[in-house]
Amino acid sequence: MITYKLGNPEGVIKINGDVKNYIPTDEANTDYQEYLEWLAEGNTPEPADEETE
Amino acid sequence: MASIKLKGDTSGEVTIQAPSVAGTNTLELQATSGTLATTAQASIGMKNRIINGDMRIDQRDGTATINATGVTYNVDRWLGRGVASAGVFTLAQDTTSPANFTNSLKATVTTADSSIASGSSYRIQQHIEGYNIADLNWGTSDAQSVTLSFWVRSSVTGTLGGSVANGDYNRFNPFSYTISSANTWEYKTVTIAGDTSGTWVTNNALGLRLNFSLGAGADRLGTAGTWTSSIKEGVTGQVNPIQTNGATFYVTGVQLEAGTVATPFEHLQYGQQLALCQRYFQTFSHAWVGVAAGVGYFQSVQGTFNTAMRTTPTTTRTGGTSTTRYPSSNWAVYTTTAQRLVSRMAAVSGGGNEGWTASGILEAEL
Repeated sequence: MITYKLGNPEGVIKINGDVKNYIPTDEANTDYQEYLEWLAEGNTPEPADEETE
Repeated sequence: MASIKLKGDTSGEVTIQAPSVAGTNTLELQATSGTLATTAQASIGMKNRIINGDMRIDQRDGTATINATGVTYNVDRWLGRGVASAGVFTLAQDTTSPANFTNSLKATVTTADSSIASGSSYRIQQHIEGYNIADLNWGTSDAQSVTLSFWVRSSVTGTLGGSVANGDYNRFNPFSYTISSANTWEYKTVTIAGDTSGTWVTNNALGLRLNFSLGAGADRLGTAGTWTSSIKEGVTGQVNPIQTNGATFYVTGVQLEAGTVATPFEHLQYGQQLALCQRYFQTFSHAWVGVAAGVGYFQSVQGTFNTAMRTTPTTTRTGGTSTTRYPSSNWAVYTTTAQRLVSRMAAVSGGGNEGWTASGILEAEL
């Protein structure tokens, strides 16, 4: 199952099993276009990881 | 100055004229049949709009299984699309090739779709960036014709098809070609009139799609040489290799150029072709060594890309080290542009010399 998590400090992370794709916030990037379609379907990404230091 | 003038039956003329300075010049036509084309175009440089048409660059270096409607890339710039499960084919670089080439792209049908449903389509594609077709003036009254030429070898004979389409996928022009002999390299040329309608982008987005069809439902097939707004990925009456289990289809020497004449394939140097491919796909390798400061502190590495990419790429880590202080799960992208990547690793403990590496791929495909 594919899920998305917000990146820190930018972009989004597409998570498909053990594979993580770091997607930039760039509308010319086809993966980001897919993410926008996923959002438009009513989905919500997981929040970004918090800094630990 | 001496000259020879050939006049056409109705209009036009050709003049061959000797120079006015001393010396001997020879205009030699080779024994091979063909057409010597001259045009009024200002330049012939980089005539081929297809990148990696000779299939030499294969940065992914593997076999792709095409069993989905989405995009799956194989040799650089070439991708496959299919359907979920009814029919399946693989794509891989191959060393079977015609003379003057070293590689081809090979499609092998591993699951036949004997009865292709409406809406289904199996195809090999290249997506061409808008910048690289801007001078064709498609979508205007000045639209130029283009000529597609390629070498093909198929185990299935008969009329095969394909199409060109715009990025928005609402302008299509099917083409056909004939495979005369099974498992034999054949050279094909197709001239396509420029589209005077529709939207053809001329920036870094998807400008033109070239489809080689391996099979499609009847609704996806149309009349060769006719522009339409309905989705067409092949030609009416075509044979469909996807219907034969084990069928093979090789293609190489693919060239798409302005004009109505197919000229010899534009062989680029390997480094030139690789750089063109890296605008869309390249690998990265980051390494850091030093003193691990403590829990949660980041160590970052910046790498500049070999070639500026089409747009900010998607980054995927595929390899690297995983140590006690720096487990690979703590690696992440910090920031990316079309020219550089900064990645970082968070330590889980500190106080000693340590290091980490990360390698992977950058994708800015169309």
